[in-house]
Amino acid sequence: MKDKNFTIGAGFVFFLFVLLQVTKPDLYISDRGLLLFLILFFGGILQFSTRQALRGGEVFLRSIPAVKAVEEAVGRSTEMGKPVLFVPGIQDMDQVETVAGVVILGHVSKMTARYETPLNVPVARSIVLKAAQEACKESYLVEGRSDIYNENMVHYVTDDQFAYAAGVNGIMNREKPAACLYMGKFYAESLLLAETGNSIGAIQIAGTASQSQIPFFVTACDYTLIGEEFFAASAYLSQKPELLGIVKGQDIIKIFMLTILIGGTIIRLIYDFNLIDFSIIDFLTMSKGS
Amino acid sequence: MIWKRQVPIFIVIFFGFLTLFGWFTDQSDIKDFVDIHGLQWYSIISTFAMFLGIITLVKLQVLKILKKQNGWQYSIVAVSGLFLSIIAGFVFKGNPDVEWGAHVIEEGTLFKWIFDFIFTPLSATMFALLAFFVASASYRAFRIRNFEATLLLISGMIIMIGRVPLGSAISSWFVLYILVLILGIVVNSIFKNKQYTAIFVAFGVIGVTVLGSSMGWPLDKPGIFYLPTLQEWIYRYPNVAGARSISIGIGLGIFATSIRYILGLEKSYIGE
Amino acid sequence: MNNISNFILKFTQVDRRWIFLIIGLSVLLPLFFPIGLPIRATATTQKVYDTFESLEPNSKVLLSCEYGPSTKPEIHPMVVALLHQLFREDHKVYVTCLWPDGQFMAAEALNEVAGLYNKVYGNDYVILGYKPGNEAVIKGMVRDLRAIFSTDVKNTKVDEIPMMEGVYKFEDFDFLFSASAGFPGSIEWMQYATDNTNVKMSTGTTSIMVNDIMPFVVSDQIQGILAGMPGAAEYEKLVGKPGIGTSGMDAQSLAHLVIVFFIIFGNIGYFIERNKTKKY
Repeated sequence: MKDKNFTIGAGFVFFLFVLLQVTKPDLYISDRGLLLFLILFFGGILQFSTRQALRGGEVFLRSIPAVKAVEEAVGRSTEMGKPVLFVPGIQDMDQVETVAGVVILGHVSKMTARYETPLNVPVARSIVLKAAQEACKESYLVEGRSDIYNENMVHYVTDDQFAYAAGVNGIMNREKPAACLYMGKFYAESLLLAETGNSIGAIQIAGTASQSQIPFFVTACDYTLIGEEFFAASAYLSQKPELLGIVKGQDIIKIFMLTILIGGTIIRLIYDFNLIDFSIIDFLTMSKGS
Repeated sequence: MIWKRQVPIFIVIFFGFLTLFGWFTDQSDIKDFVDIHGLQWYSIISTFAMFLGIITLVKLQVLKILKKQNGWQYSIVAVSGLFLSIIAGFVFKGNPDVEWGAHVIEEGTLFKWIFDFIFTPLSATMFALLAFFVASASYRAFRIRNFEATLLLISGMIIMIGRVPLGSAISSWFVLYILVLILGIVVNSIFKNKQYTAIFVAFGVIGVTVLGSSMGWPLDKPGIFYLPTLQEWIYRYPNVAGARSISIGIGLGIFATSIRYILGLEKSYIGE
Repeated sequence: MNNISNFILKFTQVDRRWIFLIIGLSVLLPLFFPIGLPIRATATTQKVYDTFESLEPNSKVLLSCEYGPSTKPEIHPMVVALLHQLFREDHKVYVTCLWPDGQFMAAEALNEVAGLYNKVYGNDYVILGYKPGNEAVIKGMVRDLRAIFSTDVKNTKVDEIPMMEGVYKFEDFDFLFSASAGFPGSIEWMQYATDNTNVKMSTGTTSIMVNDIMPFVVSDQIQGILAGMPGAAEYEKLVGKPGIGTSGMDAQSLAHLVIVFFIIFGNIGYFIERNKTKKY
């Protein structure tokens, strides 16, 4: 899309929003207007930064040791003649972390295809099974190694959390993979997996946005992608401009939110001293005030 | 080719926009779809998708049995378990007085028996392993390597002890005495003079004793040294601050990934 | 001094199976020989209790069970204690489950408690059952509960259940308690149900999830939290019905103490080894 068309489109969307807020038609819930504005505004920032990156704009990404270690881990497995175990979390494709995990699986399977390293991907959901199989198949095809692609490398274990953990632990103890990658949404089974991987001497790299499981992975794994690093990992691995642009866009949004946080705190302080009549909390939470 | 690429992308974009902007409209058909019918579509599709998983599972395990690969005996257990669950769920109730549907929770049925005497002990056992793994992971990982690691260690210990009844039985004065001893070690490492250390510790102990005697040795005062109060403070303030900032970052990551899906930029679900 | 240092160094290099054994004994022995440590309710537990005590008589309370056998020791005692409180005050209890295991847990808890207060199924409590769909179920309940739950777990039509009269959507409940061990759970209830309606909620979770929920407790979006087995024990004390939560506290206390000792010894060994390396 050309810049001119993008600008016209963005202007049209903004005009539509203003029209809706002003005219308040019956079918439009105007109380949620602020949320709609923020979605459009943040979406616009992401689009803008993506377009800038596609046009060749430089995007600086600090180095993430865990992402660099992924290739080392696959290399280590190749040298030892042992498989790579990739666990894409225990939730379904409706969770964004599982999506991010499958995207990283695509990159990892490219490496395993290139180095002819066996790959084992046990999954806990049927839809994730298909998505992961497609990702691996595409990666092996792109690397020109569809001859060594085997659809059984991605296999379904069970939906149940601890039964899945038991199954994966069994795989680890039997096959003794040299590298274990945990990328996705995890719950209590995270420590079970990580400690078992530690006991077999595998190099372990984890990535999750599950806050409560991050400490367990940090303790038991060699490298951990924490929160946003996990979502940025696919951009880092692929170095695709559109993905790098999105990471930059997220940082711009963060600056905007920091400004709101600090500014909002000051405004609230002034309101609490009865110097102004405007309650920023009521405005941001769209409540009618107390 | 259009069915493998354009159609799935169109479905994702269309339903993504519908669900996202359906939140802002009061139109009853759209709201009905987003809040109710979409859910039913998802339930039906995911149920059929489950067959895919089951077929893959059975195929792999049966192949393992037929080829007598390593651990093939366990595959017999896996396949038997699968068929037993299907029989208990759809074929044999075990209690003729119970209706189909209610048989999953009513006593006396085969399904409930499997849940109570096979599934429950196995799940509980797997979760119980965490107790041992937490101990060995903590023992291995909690080392005073630098300031941050020390802070992590101290707060971890405060929360571990403060959270349980043992913590509320430990007087804040006991904690004060321990603190005096730890500060004595710090003084010793700075000045490397045993006399200074002895004087410091002696004054510290005397000071705490005098203060405690004058206050009547209350268990939970001074509050700042009472472990349950301290752990509550750690939970409510530093922990919440850290949790909120990580949540904001994660939320942005989720927003960005979702927008990529809705705008059709992310196509990993079709293998691209 | 050298002997002590060598002993500590040897201790820090011990096979981890010895650690497992000591942890196992520290959990097992207090179960057979209870110590009886006193339990004091924390502010967050007290808030949950006070919130339920302040409910109007005959309030409609939605109890959502999102836990299974693995997390039963932490969450089941708090559900049982809560049911004691709710039935004692003659509140109506409506049970839904976002996890399939939740149905079994809820049925077990109700079987244990309901009979003690002569409560009748369909008049005083009902189990609506489990529906797949995670947070979409919550969204559906906010819009139209009967479209999601047309029958209860016993296959009785919801229209024929006496206590379902006047209950058509989530806002018809007076309070929500989410007994949650993960996803979907308390956070989804708060995001999709209570934040958009006037219905307040409390929650009981596993200890590890308290970290995630605490920001919402501090901002008053969730009225207090029962944090794991200690929270369950505290709630049992407040309700006056000691149970599994209380009996597990001695074991948990001792196990935590043992872990702290291991950490301290591990660090002493680390410093001894570091000093030895520095000398050379």
